[in-house]
This record gives sequence, structure tokens and C-alpha cells, in this order.
Amino acid sequence: MDVALIGLIAMPLIAGLLSLAMRTRRSMERLQCAHAAVLLVAMSVVVMNVAEGSVITIGILLRADALSAFLDLMLAFVGATSLLYALGYMGEESTRGHVLHRRYRRFFCLFNLYLFAMLLAANVDNIALMWIAIEGSTLSAALLIGFERTKAALEAGWKYIILSFVGIALALFGTVLVYYASEHVLGVSMEALRWEDLYRVAAELNPTALKLAFVFVLVGYGTKAGVAPMHTWLPDAHGEAPAPVSAMLSGLMLNLALYAVLRFKSIVDRAVGADFTEPILLGLGLLSVAIAAIFLMVQRDYKRLFAYSSIEHVGIALVGFGIGGPVGVFGGLFHMFNHALAKSTAFYAAGMVMLRRGHKTIERVTGLVRQMPLVGGSMLLATLALAGMPPFGLFVSEVLIVTGAYGRGQWMAYVFLGLLAVAFATLLSQVFRMALGEPMEEGVPVTDRTRRFTASALVINLTAMVYSGTHMPGFLHDLFLPMTRLFGVTVEIP
Amino acid sequence: MGGMRPDIASQMVDLCSALLLLTCFAIIAQRRLSACVDLFALQSVFLAGTAALVAFLTGIHHIYIAALLTVIIKVVIIPRILKKVIERLNVTRELVLNVNIPPSLLICGALVILAFSITQPIISLGFLLTKDSLAIALAIVLIGFFTMIARKKAVTQVVGFLVIENGLFLAATAAAYGMPLIVELGVFFDVLVAGLIIGIYTHRLQDTFDSVDTSKLTELKE
Repeated sequence: MDVALIGLIAMPLIAGLLSLAMRTRRSMERLQCAHAAVLLVAMSVVVMNVAEGSVITIGILLRADALSAFLDLMLAFVGATSLLYALGYMGEESTRGHVLHRRYRRFFCLFNLYLFAMLLAANVDNIALMWIAIEGSTLSAALLIGFERTKAALEAGWKYIILSFVGIALALFGTVLVYYASEHVLGVSMEALRWEDLYRVAAELNPTALKLAFVFVLVGYGTKAGVAPMHTWLPDAHGEAPAPVSAMLSGLMLNLALYAVLRFKSIVDRAVGADFTEPILLGLGLLSVAIAAIFLMVQRDYKRLFAYSSIEHVGIALVGFGIGGPVGVFGGLFHMFNHALAKSTAFYAAGMVMLRRGHKTIERVTGLVRQMPLVGGSMLLATLALAGMPPFGLFVSEVLIVTGAYGRGQWMAYVFLGLLAVAFATLLSQVFRMALGEPMEEGVPVTDRTRRFTASALVINLTAMVYSGTHMPGFLHDLFLPMTRLFGVTVEIP
Repeated sequence: MGGMRPDIASQMVDLCSALLLLTCFAIIAQRRLSACVDLFALQSVFLAGTAALVAFLTGIHHIYIAALLTVIIKVVIIPRILKKVIERLNVTRELVLNVNIPPSLLICGALVILAFSITQPIISLGFLLTKDSLAIALAIVLIGFFTMIARKKAVTQVVGFLVIENGLFLAATAAAYGMPLIVELGVFFDVLVAGLIIGIYTHRLQDTFDSVDTSKLTELKE
């Protein structure tokens, strides 16, 4: 199982470097399909082993416990489908002559390095190396967001660079503060940066230093997670990035940033109690949902629409963690998982609409279901899931979080429900307008070769989405128990 | 302690950190872009000096490596990239500032006081040698942050970002006696790549917008 973990992390790096040597579209397709298959196999081995109760540690650098394995599950699954999708999407761009082959190769190199940095961040057993890996993902994302080099894409990329570099610098300051506190207990050493040792001695760490550290880390990684009021880069970046990148940003990077916040929360909670972190997370979560609900109403661009919906869902997950207790923590984690599936599906579909119609204006898009049954249908289903309708997993987690909120305070639950209702109504009405009716424009259909990849990515994602909404897979169930224990609560999951 | 009296050693570290802080104010008071870059290089020299001093006084040798890397990357390479960008862009001055210089200096003074009051409760945790460095480091981070907000040109925003990095590095070296070597190497690598990416972006901004005035980036709005 050591091999599986190393393979899982190293594969994207190897594939990324190899991509630069691929001379034809066909060889790139073979390489990336093999890459996706290896990712899925390695991830299954890691997840199955961790679900049986073991913690995989390799040397002093890598460690996969339940929370890491949970991240691996999302990163590898959505990563694999977005690789498939990217083969279609970028292949089409290259066939149409929008992207030269040299840049097509460079795209896959960056895309794989981005995935590599995220997988590394999720499994590294060291708070500072995690920071380095997350910074690495920020750097590759910065180039991917501006990849299309239009005015808007460059502007979005620049905003992303400035905001997330500042954010991540603040997170490093928080990390240094934790080290500053922990080296008094563990000495000037590598141990003072390791999760496992930090958990062990958390109760002895200086509480004031940890409180200060948590604020910096939350603002820092919160910027990457798109938490309001640091969210302003997010709609621009998600709107202007190529669709496979938007899917990765929304489905994976937001979760990775939340993961970093959660790791720090679990240490700070041991030192100062959850009473410090929970109200902050709750407040920021509600603010994010509120801001997203308002901006969803005024969107005219469908990719930005889904971007604001991501801010909403990050907010909902934060509300879950802010409520705390078994219901809140489980709800928040389950929400992250389902959001990754649904949002990546939505962006895959949005990218197909973009390829066909060549613009992103909601008002000019109608009749998607009739014109492109699979794409329109997927967009509709993903939107239903994102709006929180049964039978999808987001319905379950939202109900849990609302129940938890009711336990914390009635008025808060009503405010939260009200905001959810606004977001629900606007998101659905906007997408219904696009999906139903008669198509106004013919657009340019994609080639069959493209469709083969994009359709399989959509179908795999949809299947997983429906499946996880109706069943709780056994391995996921086994992961949740140790994960919630990390936050000092134990959940009995039916 | 190299045979030096601890209070003198501590004061020397404080002096070096204070020089770092002083260059922040000089950057804020400067309108010419190339002078800002020079001041940043000077600040990095002080930073390397502080790191070398800490390494000498504590006998932790790997901090010397960090000091050397600071000189190579932040005193030589990154300023050179930025100078090239400035030359190519043909911009020399910030003509319009979001916040004028005198109020900027006042705000930065307030930020220093804020940094000292935030870190007061945990300063006693630190090593005797470098007690005040954490507060100074936080002050530098906040001033860097302010520079990014108060200035419009992409180049000055980058200098602000690099000043933040210097503050962080001071926090790691002076307040915590340096992170493990592998961590510092990783951070340096990231800073270097960040510098390159920012260079690439400013070129593309110039090519596409004919300007690096970030207030002209207004395409994406609600």
C-alpha cells in the first residue's frame, strides 16, 4: 500500500513531464487515459486500506489518515474524469485551431502538475510542506486560469495571483506561528511541524499563539477556498479559465483549501476548545452563503453562475463545521464530497455549451436538452443536485446542516434556510431557462472524437453523483468514523 | 553565543530587523519604480544579514544556506527580472497613487503599533535573542499588504508581495530560528517560481492592455 500512495502522488508528476514529449493528439490521449486509470487504481488501494483502519505512513514525509484518504478519493476521482474531459475539450480547441499543439501539450503538463501539487498537499505529513505544495498548486493554477490569453482571462489571472499570493503568504505566517508555539514543546526539529506530533502535544501548546495562527490560516487558506469576503477572485477565475480547469478549481481546490483549514482547526480545538473556532467559521459561512445568494440573482454568465454557487456551497460546508458536533461535522464533510461531484459535472456541461455556442451569456442560451440531450440533461441534473434536491447527496448534507443549525439557534436556522431558498430559486430558474425550450442558435457541433471523451466524463460523474446520493458506499462510511473522531466527535452513521 | 554578551547579541538582531522595517517605509515613500526595486534588494541584503547573524549567534548552520539563497534569489535574480520588466514596459513613475505618500506613512506607523500590540501576548514565548523580531516581522507583512492596496502599477504590487515574503522569512528565521532546511528550500523555490510567473504575466498584460496600470483591469465586473 506504500507503493499505491507513492504511485498516486508521483503519477501526475510523471505524466505531466511526459506530456511535453507527446507529438500527436493520439499519443496524448493514450498517455492521459493510462494516467487516469493508474490514479483510480492507486486511489482505490489507498482508500480501501485506510478504510480498514490503518494509517499509511512513509518515512517522515507522507502520511495518509482518513481525512487524507477522503481528499485522495475526491482528487483522484474528479481528477481522472477531468483528465478525460480535458482530452475532449482541449482536443477540440486544438482541432479548431484555437490552440497550437505546443500549447496543447503545455496545458496538459500544467494540468497534471496542478493535480500533483494538490495530491501532495493532501498527503504530506508536515504543515510547512503542505503550505509549499498548496503554493505550488496556486502557481500552476495561475498559469492555467490565464491560459486563453484573452483580456478577460489575463485580468482574472492577475486578480487570482495578487489575492491568492497574499492569502497564501498570510497562511505561511500562521504556519510559522504554529511552529513558533510547537518548537517550545518539541524542540527546533522536523517533529514540530508534523501533524501526528502536533496532535499529540496540542494540549500543551500556547493557546494565544494558536488562536492568532488560526486567524491567519483561516484568512489565508480561506482566500483559496473562496470564503467571503476574500472570494472576489473566484467568479472571475472560474468564469475565464478553460472549463476543465474551472471544474478542478471548483471541485478540488476549494476542498483542498478547506482541508487545510480543517487540519489546523483540529489542532487548535485541542488546545483552546472548539468555542474559539466554531463561531468564526459559522459567521464566515453564513456571510458566504448570503453574498453568493445575492450575486446568483444578477448573473448573466453561466460559468460565473456556477462559480457563485461554489461560494455558496463552501459557505454551507463552513456552516456545518461551525455548528460542530456529530451532525455538523459529518454534514460538512459529506457536503464537500457531493459538491465536488456535482460542481465538476456542471462545469463539464457548461464547457460543452461554450464550445457549441461560443459565448457564455445565459439569455442567449435556450433549448439545451433538445439540442444536446446528454449535456443539457447533465447540466439540469447537476443543477438540481446543487440546488439541494433529493435524491442527491447534497440534499442529505443540507438537511443535516439545517437540523444542526436549528439546534444552535432558531433564528439562525431560519436565516440560513431563507438564504438557501433564495439560492435554490435563482439557480434553478436561471438554468431551467437555458435547458428547456427551443434552441435559438445552431452553433458549432463538436467532433465525434471530442464527444467520446466528454460524454464518458459526464456519464461517469453523473453515475457517481446519483449513486452516492442513494447509497452510502461502504468505504466512505468507514472513512467518516475516524475522520469525525479527528474533530473530537463520534458519529453513528446508519 | 560566540562569546558575545547575550544582551548585545539580542540588540544586534533587533538593529538588523529594525533596518528591514525602515526600508519598508522608504519603499512606501518612493514613487520611482526602479528605486522601489533597489530598496527591495537593499531590504533583502539586511534580511540576509539578519539570518547570517542569527546563524552565527546560535550555531545553527543551515540558516547560513538560507542567507546565501536570499542573496542569490532576492538580491540578484528577482530584482533583475523586475528591472527588465520595468525597462521593457517603459514606465518609470507612479503618477497617481490610491493613497498619497504622507497619509501612507502615517498608516504604516499605525500598522507597526498594531503589529506590536497583536504579538505582545506571545512575544514572551520567543527566544531571548530574537524577542522583538516577531512583532517587526508582522509589521513588515502588514506594510507589504498595504503597499499592494495603495499602489496601482503591477510592478509595485509585486514589490509589495515580495516585501510580505521578506517579513515572513524574518518571522521564520529570527523568531523561530529557521524552519528545517527542506522547508526553506521549498519556500525559496516557490518564491522564485512566483517571481517568474509574475514576470510572465506582466509581459502579457503589457502586450494585451498596453499598460500595467491595474486600475485598467475592469473588464470583469458585476
